[in-house]
Amino acid sequence: MSTRHAVVVAAVVVVAASVLVTAVVGAGFDWSRSSDELNAALAEGEPTQVAQIAAADGLPARGVYAQLTPTGHFCLSDAPLDNPNMGGGGCNAADDPLGGKNLSVSLAYDAGPGLDAVRDARLIGLAIRGVSSVRVLMTDASWRTVKLKNAKLGAGLFKAFGYRFRRSDLKRGIGPAAVVAFDASGAEIARQATGIG
Amino acid sequence: MRKLILGLAIPVALVWVGSALAVVGYAGPRYWNPGDEAGSSWQSSWSYNAFNKPSSGYDSTVTFIDNVSYGWHATVRNRDMVTYTNWWSSQGTVKKGHCKAHSGGHWGGCYVN
Repeated sequence: MSTRHAVVVAAVVVVAASVLVTAVVGAGFDWSRSSDELNAALAEGEPTQVAQIAAADGLPARGVYAQLTPTGHFCLSDAPLDNPNMGGGGCNAADDPLGGKNLSVSLAYDAGPGLDAVRDARLIGLAIRGVSSVRVLMTDASWRTVKLKNAKLGAGLFKAFGYRFRRSDLKRGIGPAAVVAFDASGAEIARQATGIG
Repeated sequence: MRKLILGLAIPVALVWVGSALAVVGYAGPRYWNPGDEAGSSWQSSWSYNAFNKPSSGYDSTVTFIDNVSYGWHATVRNRDMVTYTNWWSSQGTVKKGHCKAHSGGHWGGCYVN
């Protein structure tokens, strides 16, 4: 075999090996492959603000952002107003934004994990149009009322919300136990436990 | 010959660079039991952390843990199909992605980038 042929064969083997390795890694990363696409969509997309988290305790206001991604997801995030792509939250199938429920909630916090060490805790969520009010049941059995905002997302109408917990509550070890949605008659129509308390 | 080698080398380089920049799985895909948790390697470049599940309804947390205070940062907990967070820490902060399945009883995988 000539040197030229040897180089060509070696190069082909390297290309084949690279493709094979990528394919194997890709197969192992079946979820990661979609995660790559979702990561890119979240980083580069243009989410729409559907609610706001008010400034409080020296912390700046933040936005609640909705986004339909090319990956077929509906994502709701909590992010700085000047950088909607820098947030966190959750995604469900675009044709089922609430994951089959009447209410979908994300809890976000900085510092911790102990509640007394948490500096900033926030709640964002989305509810069906028929929800009239949303309240947060705290671990001391008190309630906090959340302000709802109408949100048109694709063909659907929803109620969106964002809420920041008082630092005084967190310092006393009082956190959110559950988020509860009520209809106009005051009847409970959805509840999501936070897992705290 | 030089063109041939370049023509083969460039795609190889692109393949490897593409792999290096991709989201990295650090747990799963696998079956998660209640209370299962996992952590990625320590890196200063991580900023995105996600817990992907095949469907919604499973209580999950994602967060970043720094290697100095071991405090949690940009923690998100929900029952969505994808639970994700972004943490743009100060430059040089070494951290790891961490994910936890609270309810468990589902398949899923955790990824950082």
